[in-house]
Amino acid sequence: MLKKKCVAMLLAGGKGSRLSSLTKNLAKPAVPFGGKYRIIDFALSNCTNSGIETVGVLTQYQPLVLNSYIGIGSAWDLDRRNGGVTVLPPYAESDGVKWYKGTASAIYENLNYLTQYDPEYVLILSGDHIYKMNYENMLDYHINKEADVTISVIEVPWEEASRFGILNTNSDLDVMEFDEKPQRPKNNLASMGIYIFKWSILKEYLEMDARNPYSSHDFGKDVIPLLLDEKKKLIAYPFQGYWKDVGTVKSLWEANMDLLCDKDELNLFDSSWKVYSVNPNQPPQYIAPNACVVESLVNEGCVVEGNVEQSVLFPGVQIGSGSEVKKTVVMPTAKIGSNVYIENAIVPSDIEVPDGTIIRPTKGSEEVILVTQELIESVAKCI
Amino acid sequence: MLGIIDACTNTTALQPLTFYRSIAAIPFAGRYRLIDFTLSNMVNSGISSVAIFPRDRYRALMDHIGSGKEWDLDRKRDGLFIFPPMTSDLHLESPSLFTQFRYHIDYFLRSKQEYVLIANSYTICTVDFDHVLQRHIASNADITEMKQGDKSLNMYIINKSILVDILQNESHDFYTIKELVRYMAQSHRVEKYEHHGYTAEISSLDAYYKTSMEILSPDVWKQLFINERPVFTKVKDEPPTRYAKKAVVKNSMIANGCVIEGHVENSIIFRGVKIGKGTVVKNSIVMQKGVILENSVLENVVLDKDVKIGSNETLLGESGLPRVIAKGTTQGALMKS
Repeated sequence: MLKKKCVAMLLAGGKGSRLSSLTKNLAKPAVPFGGKYRIIDFALSNCTNSGIETVGVLTQYQPLVLNSYIGIGSAWDLDRRNGGVTVLPPYAESDGVKWYKGTASAIYENLNYLTQYDPEYVLILSGDHIYKMNYENMLDYHINKEADVTISVIEVPWEEASRFGILNTNSDLDVMEFDEKPQRPKNNLASMGIYIFKWSILKEYLEMDARNPYSSHDFGKDVIPLLLDEKKKLIAYPFQGYWKDVGTVKSLWEANMDLLCDKDELNLFDSSWKVYSVNPNQPPQYIAPNACVVESLVNEGCVVEGNVEQSVLFPGVQIGSGSEVKKTVVMPTAKIGSNVYIENAIVPSDIEVPDGTIIRPTKGSEEVILVTQELIESVAKCI
Repeated sequence: MLGIIDACTNTTALQPLTFYRSIAAIPFAGRYRLIDFTLSNMVNSGISSVAIFPRDRYRALMDHIGSGKEWDLDRKRDGLFIFPPMTSDLHLESPSLFTQFRYHIDYFLRSKQEYVLIANSYTICTVDFDHVLQRHIASNADITEMKQGDKSLNMYIINKSILVDILQNESHDFYTIKELVRYMAQSHRVEKYEHHGYTAEISSLDAYYKTSMEILSPDVWKQLFINERPVFTKVKDEPPTRYAKKAVVKNSMIANGCVIEGHVENSIIFRGVKIGKGTVVKNSIVMQKGVILENSVLENVVLDKDVKIGSNETLLGESGLPRVIAKGTTQGALMKS
């Protein structure tokens, strides 16, 4: 293998329990987003657009969809002779199966993968977030600051700071403390779960962490505090722009709705920073004579005969005549029958909503309804 | 069975769409090129070795087809072959299809397949060539011509050994397969295969426009776009299409990556097109990356790729006789972008 300057390790094994039935059969990074993408497309496309062409993807929870989706990485131009994308699932050794016990343990179990490229720097990423970021700029920053570890941070509203891992920094952005979900936050710089390590430091500290029987083998909880105790140079890299952790049904829905704003901060239409994904190769969308589509994103293969407003339609979705679909995310190949009313909802892939079904939040409530087969059956009984 | 696509045909009847490209590469149905239909029919019928014989202006075609990956034809065994004419011929009258076959006879000699499907690149239909082959074999034919009523589809299945024998031993230069069929009728068994279902031959601008308008009918597009027999094409990584607050879209086919702020009716909109506020597009075709600014009116118009129309412009064609705006044209007030 040729030596690489920087290798990315993308953590994609998370379950995303708060996404409920959406992650029953697939890992959170594989959850559909934005009428076309899966969440992991953003991190993978960022790698390609940042010139990072060696990416290890660490999978564990429900990996089938993710594995076949990533394939050999050609959708992201990561099918490379030297490097490219490699899916790294847990594996068995003579002394047993090495399940990934935490984010740090996942990387530790794959030190061999990194060793073969002998990189100078390792970029640790999470496959759970929606954002566009040039990792090359962060790497330049890391090199210029002569840091051991650089952690990307984003300013969050003070009242929400207690939901995040907060970095307490001095005026030079040197990290002094790491507070995981602090009750009384001292700062509002949240860790984005993006780290650049000097390879030698990463290796040394992961080995140290692996020997510690009391560790939970997590970057935020264990490795970062250990590095701080050892007085290593940790520095925060301030990121500006759209960044969203779509950890819940509501935040996933909100992130989809954000795309419909007039000033869509993510800007999927920017051709200089394309978000790549596996293309489904379906015919163009057909909008019928009596249909009405406004303030929406609609993808190929859709057939719209009803009214669609402030909604996101993934490939191959059908909306029957007389139906109204408002503020709803309809995932691939879901079918909405005729005369259906649906508002504030997420309709998962392949779900069929029968003719005449009404799904809407109770008056005054802002809940987002995750449509399931059970919900459809219970609504049908009410009629 | 080998799949041969005759992409040699040229006609002035499709100008200006064929000014920069061969017929095979004319954009069609929002995201395709004409050749995609024949090529996808071949792949969906289990044909794994396809040879394309282009003649001139094939840069767009080569760029579109690439390694054949989108059609699953980038393979070690069989796959995609492109056989352009020998350069010395550029000074001569166009070489016949048979001359081009003779140049590349090794393709026929080296392959193991026993049958050859020869198809044109501009017929829009969905067909299972494997079914045609079974009929060809069952009827003991030497050559089978596919027809719809009296009309030939210009698609044929011929036994490879017979084709090779004629290529090697017959000095006559056949310009078209039709001529070959007439010749073979004297001494060989010629059969016909009746094809059912929607079929359109894009041999003139009229036919291009008429067919484009026809595929807006669900009866027609449901025959062309079948989940089990997808039409493959080059992918572009465009985001979904965005419909603005004031968008009005009726009876139209819209590809990905568009931003629609105006009114679109009975039209076909290709990938990455922008239609500004207050603009009305009716009975029209807007190809890739077209931009129409605000408050313009387009009716019965075909905009080739990369056409930019300014604000407050009016472009009207006649129904049945569309007005075609050539590739890359900028019309109206100069635009900064």
